[in-house]
Amino acid sequence: MIEVVEPGSLTSVQAAGGRPGWRHLGVPVGGAADGWSARLANRLVGNADDAALLEVTLVGPTLRFVTRARVALAGARFEASLDGLAIASFVTHEAREGSTLRIGAGDGARAYLAMAGGIEVEPLLGSAATDLRSGFGGLEGRALRAGDVMALGPASDVARRWTGALPEGPIRIVDGPHVDSLGPGALADAEWTVSTAADRAAVRFDGPHLAPSESDVASMGLPLGAIQVPPDGHPIVMLADRPVTGGYPVPGCVIGADVGRVARLRPGDTVRFASVSPQDARRAFRDREDELAALTEAGAPEDDELGWTGALE
Amino acid sequence: MIRPFGEAALLVELGSPDRAQSLAASLRTDPLRGVVEAVPGLASVLVEVAPLGARPGALAPALRKRIATLESVPQPGRLHTIRVVYDGADLEEVASLSGQTPDDVVALHTGTELRVLFCGFAPGFAYLGDLPSALRVDRLPTPRTRTPAGSVAIAGRMSGIYPADLPGGWRVIGRTDVELFDPRRDPPVLLLPGDRVRFEPAR
Repeated sequence: MIEVVEPGSLTSVQAAGGRPGWRHLGVPVGGAADGWSARLANRLVGNADDAALLEVTLVGPTLRFVTRARVALAGARFEASLDGLAIASFVTHEAREGSTLRIGAGDGARAYLAMAGGIEVEPLLGSAATDLRSGFGGLEGRALRAGDVMALGPASDVARRWTGALPEGPIRIVDGPHVDSLGPGALADAEWTVSTAADRAAVRFDGPHLAPSESDVASMGLPLGAIQVPPDGHPIVMLADRPVTGGYPVPGCVIGADVGRVARLRPGDTVRFASVSPQDARRAFRDREDELAALTEAGAPEDDELGWTGALE
Repeated sequence: MIRPFGEAALLVELGSPDRAQSLAASLRTDPLRGVVEAVPGLASVLVEVAPLGARPGALAPALRKRIATLESVPQPGRLHTIRVVYDGADLEEVASLSGQTPDDVVALHTGTELRVLFCGFAPGFAYLGDLPSALRVDRLPTPRTRTPAGSVAIAGRMSGIYPADLPGGWRVIGRTDVELFDPRRDPPVLLLPGDRVRFEPAR
């Protein structure tokens, strides 16, 4: 059992992969905005990839462990402490009965806190994910509040460390169906700043004004990472909670391997886009899948991980 | 027309809502190998493939074959009669924009049987069409940050009902208390593609 002492700025129960299979009825896929990091956090504590966990945004929560649990953080690196001792991301830690876990600010917008056994919530339409926009799933369809209590499922005793690398450099994009509505390189030739209009559904970018040659297109299904250009000329990258369909031109799509990076961007961050071929995009996706498997036994703590208690009893 | 949409999807343009729904339904009941999900839009289907599987373009021949065998006449869906209190915030403006009285607007909105063309925007939201041409108005120039649940609204040739408090740019002409989405119900949405809707003034 875990008790929420402070909820943080926006912490919700999520699950990687969301609830596929309902989009024909208008129900978004949803789920972890950075699904790759959510899966990694779960693997660090021996959970299934889609086990329910916490998505932490900008400033994390303070949690009290009523019962002991193994925990791991993945995603952007957030300052975190367990009973006052700093703990690192990407490795398993043990919270004892009565332990307090504080998660502060991060070097990106989002991270995931997985707890061995996963959070027990009623799956709706096949997933534990919270749809904050429509208010269902997760914990009563809302973000965490102080005083909330969550139960964990049966856990294995895995303690792991991730030794892989996160991608750097420009955010890679491939052509979208309306690539010809913009001049060549319109997205790739500029520097873009993440605006404050950034949430689980979409991230809007400020930069040069884009003026697609077609302004309205017939509403169509939008894949994860689709870059829509509404009439205001600001590109928006569509994330997990995006509406099922959209009616603006889509000149490009962020590749699957880099969508999680967009979900980790904070307002004010600057990025560039770089066009790649679909073949390169698929290769990059495969590489990210391989990186997920770069796990070792947690082993001895490193010097900068004084709070690590690993598999010790 | 079949176009690539990102590295793991195709956009199949079919020209009509009926054909789009028909292809998407066919791909749900009898999936093509490699297709993960088929999402109908107004007149197209987004066909998503497994990102580690074959490249999406390899599916085009099988999709063309499937399209050629689609039933051309859709099954008529259920008829829903939905009672509406016509006191929406934009009713007067819709009337003046279309050069009519509010009563005329209500008569036009209740006098036409509409069909669910596709689902989207939010769980439970159905795009209903087509409105009579005398009732077609543009979206609000600046969308509202919150349109209350149950709002009955119009934009262009379509009408819809907001299933929850949501931002929105459609013009609100009335309200209803019908429950459009319940994730514990099967199916979870009230208005399914192909269903017919008739609005009725609540008295």
